[in-house]
Amino acid sequence: METYAAGPLLELNKAVPSFEDSGLPPIPFNMKLMPGECMIVEARDPSRATMFADMCSGMVELESGQVSFMGLDWANLQDRELNALRGRIGRITRRASWAEFMPTHLGIILQQLHHTTRTLDDLVAEAVRRSEDFGLPGVPTVSPSLLSDTDLTRVSCVRAFMGQPHLLLLEDPLEGGPPEMYNSFLSSVTEARDRGAGVIWLVRSNAVWQSYRQGITSTWRLADDGLVAVRMA
Amino acid sequence: MSSEEIIDPTVQHDASVRRVLLHLVLPFVVTVMAVLAIALVGINSYRTTKEGVSTLTHQLMGAVQQYIVQQVTDYILPAATGNLIASGMIEHAPAQVEDKVFYSYGSTMLRKIPQLQSFYLADDEGHFMLIARAAQQGVQEHVRLIEKNGHTYFHHAFWDESGQKISETEEDAKGYDPRTRDWYKNTAGTDKVTWTKPHLFPTTSQFVMTSSLRFKTDAGHTMVFATNISLNELSSYLDQIKVGKTGSAMIVDSHGLLIAGKNLTQQAKAAGWDPDKMVLDRNAYPVFALGYDHYRVRGVGPRHVTWDGKDYITIAASLPRYSDSWVLLMAAPESDFGSFARQSSHQSLQFLAIITVFSLVLAGLLVRQVRRTEAGTRLLEKQKAQIQRESSAVQVVAVAPRLFDPTVEPLSLTEQLTLVTGARRATLWRFLHDGAAMVCEDAYDQTQNTHSGGFEMARTELGPFFAAIEEGNAFSVENAAVDPRTTRFERLIMRELGTKALTVCPVHGPHGVEGAIMLEDPHLQPHLLYFLDLMAGVAALRFAAQAQLLDSQAGKIVDAGQQVAALDVPPPQSDNMLMMAPEAAAVNSASIYPSVAVLVITFSDPVVEGEKETEALIALINQLAADVQSVAQEEKLFAVEVAGHRMICTAGCLPQPDVTAIVRVADAALKMREIFMASLAAADLEPVFTMGIDYGPAFGGAVGNSPKVFNLWGQTVSLAELMAAGAADPGTIQVTERVYAVLRDRYLFRSRGTFFAPHLGLGRAYTLAARR
Repeated sequence: METYAAGPLLELNKAVPSFEDSGLPPIPFNMKLMPGECMIVEARDPSRATMFADMCSGMVELESGQVSFMGLDWANLQDRELNALRGRIGRITRRASWAEFMPTHLGIILQQLHHTTRTLDDLVAEAVRRSEDFGLPGVPTVSPSLLSDTDLTRVSCVRAFMGQPHLLLLEDPLEGGPPEMYNSFLSSVTEARDRGAGVIWLVRSNAVWQSYRQGITSTWRLADDGLVAVRMA
Repeated sequence: MSSEEIIDPTVQHDASVRRVLLHLVLPFVVTVMAVLAIALVGINSYRTTKEGVSTLTHQLMGAVQQYIVQQVTDYILPAATGNLIASGMIEHAPAQVEDKVFYSYGSTMLRKIPQLQSFYLADDEGHFMLIARAAQQGVQEHVRLIEKNGHTYFHHAFWDESGQKISETEEDAKGYDPRTRDWYKNTAGTDKVTWTKPHLFPTTSQFVMTSSLRFKTDAGHTMVFATNISLNELSSYLDQIKVGKTGSAMIVDSHGLLIAGKNLTQQAKAAGWDPDKMVLDRNAYPVFALGYDHYRVRGVGPRHVTWDGKDYITIAASLPRYSDSWVLLMAAPESDFGSFARQSSHQSLQFLAIITVFSLVLAGLLVRQVRRTEAGTRLLEKQKAQIQRESSAVQVVAVAPRLFDPTVEPLSLTEQLTLVTGARRATLWRFLHDGAAMVCEDAYDQTQNTHSGGFEMARTELGPFFAAIEEGNAFSVENAAVDPRTTRFERLIMRELGTKALTVCPVHGPHGVEGAIMLEDPHLQPHLLYFLDLMAGVAALRFAAQAQLLDSQAGKIVDAGQQVAALDVPPPQSDNMLMMAPEAAAVNSASIYPSVAVLVITFSDPVVEGEKETEALIALINQLAADVQSVAQEEKLFAVEVAGHRMICTAGCLPQPDVTAIVRVADAALKMREIFMASLAAADLEPVFTMGIDYGPAFGGAVGNSPKVFNLWGQTVSLAELMAAGAADPGTIQVTERVYAVLRDRYLFRSRGTFFAPHLGLGRAYTLAARR
């Protein structure tokens, strides 16, 4: 992966989300995420966190302002480029988002199959490696609906870190997730940052990231008054 | 874009399509439309002109026709109307003066009207009079039919212009009876002017026609007055008339017989002087023949005919009623009238072609200009991106933590160098103190995204290259393999990667050249040299700090090494210690050691089947344990503790910092690895061990009642265990960043990247490869 070094990786520039579409407060959002940075966004409301991640992915209609990823304004892209650019995002959602018509292992590698020319063997090898990292005996091949909640959290992590995403939008998998996944998750986050990816870690409470605080670049709070920077102690 | 990605989102296809539309298609379409508009206007103008010319031609022809008709009418009018006048005069004249009236009238008319040839007067009793021009100029001949002695004679009397009779003769009339002549018989039953067919008038050799009119005199006689009119005169008149430039006219009767026209005499000759055979010759007058055919089918009026690929206009016009259904035919090439218009149209078309060519040239120039502008804009954007990249690179280097700390690797330096210069690999080299060698501080391979370093090159091997660097000037070679300065460097370093071009930028320090930045296969723009100089400056500061650090450490290491050599270590004790230094036995209480080196060796359980194999394995383990003891004693380690499938080797458990401890442990680790590898290979086993080393403070002491056991705790031990557990491959020695910082000049390391360790946070890990 080439490290993106020509400015902010993700930039919200006076972006006012449409309240009707997103439920986010129609207030200008300003934020910059540089390559390699890890940003904590504290959002008590899980659906609001999801909407914020959608907004960062260019999936929320804006009333004004811009959301730019890797220097490209989501609003100015055609479908082809839009989809390709979203292929550079790894994402964990709080509510499981899995297609039921395909088994989990296909769901894990589907994004990479669609967006890249990587071979199936290569993808499977990576999926197996990441699955083992996240405490799974291998890549699950059953339907996602048959997996337990904790295993679904694990495979969500595997899917998010597959490939070499430039941006990680992580709705906290640790809270309520298996505790032994903690180290794997932070290792993966660190590895991604080390190669230049930006991380937005959406959490419900501050407790979950405290042990990683030395690696956090900035913290923000997403509330009714919009996105507010929180001073780190 | 990553090479694995199918679509590059940064490439705006639609924008480029729009650009192509705007910059190529639009000017082209506009040009084509302009050309089409010009062509349409030109064609429309051409058609309008052509129609106008046609109308004008018809109008001109109409006017000419009217003029000719008038002329022909005027020509034959004296013959037709003269009959009426003369007959009126004779009709009411007394019988005794009839001849005088006739001769008087005839004489006057012959003198005044040249086309008239002669006049006849005959009655129903056979009397006949004639007046005609004599062969002699100015003399008229009066002829009368007289009867003498029952025989008829022509009495000829010749009169001059003054009215004097010159002579008179008589001639036998040979039974001439005027009532048997055509001109007399034609008038039977009609009181209108009738015409005979053309015939040759013998006295004047003129081709003539006779118009005659029958009337009754007051005396009750029926008389016929006839006038001969020369067709030769009419023909020569028609011959003189020019219709357009080359057109002509002729008169035919309703049966297609030629009345007058060009070459009438020749026509008559060809017809054997037979008027009935003087038809319109299609071979001689094809256009007239076509015009006559049109007349027969469609009646009088102008017609458009084509003959032999040429356009003609023909007009058929009827002559006055007293002309006995004669038809005036005119024919002229259309070009005679429309040539100016055609010329004008041709000029318009030429202008059109010239304008079209100019338009195309201008469109081409416009497209070229637009493309040049576009290229300029792209270049500007590229330069802007380059500037942004350079600024960003400088910023990344500037904000790199502990940039000038020599114990931290200058990773961002080489990374940004490759990013800005587009080099395949960027390496940072430092002269060792004596200048006999250069050591690679860091090498970053852009395509592999990997850092490496630690390799050396000696002056003895690369003398010319060292000399070139020490000259202090940056230089670039296109093909390092053929340049005498860089040939050996290419063979030693570059060939492995397959790079060809090399740029060397010396790093200047306070004592001259202290190292160099080398870029392999760079796309180096001239203005980027400032960036190289900037990076060289940063590297120089690092080298200066490193020199200070090495100076401060060098003496200590040598001293500590001598101390270690002087130690006298007794044989190891029992219990779980494979080896214990004498000072370890003296430890009775817990203590904090500031610089302990810990080596953890982890074995995985081999698969054993059967008692025999188990015995062999135990023998092997025993052998390995003995080897470990041996190595530990050689390296003067503090203790070697066995715990299950792990071994923990420690050194430097002294209250005072011992900088040699880590060196000894590292050496021990390398030796043990060699021994383990060899022994396991001999036993046909995989290298089922990993090693981890850390170096730092720890606390420990003798615990428990007798026998007391010495043990160590602390982050150093944990990290060493973690390194062993997380080693990349079996048989490798993984060390922490602290170990690397101390040993980097003495050993070869391979970076493994940044890792998050539980409870320890972020850190880099390295694999210890060998001694330098």
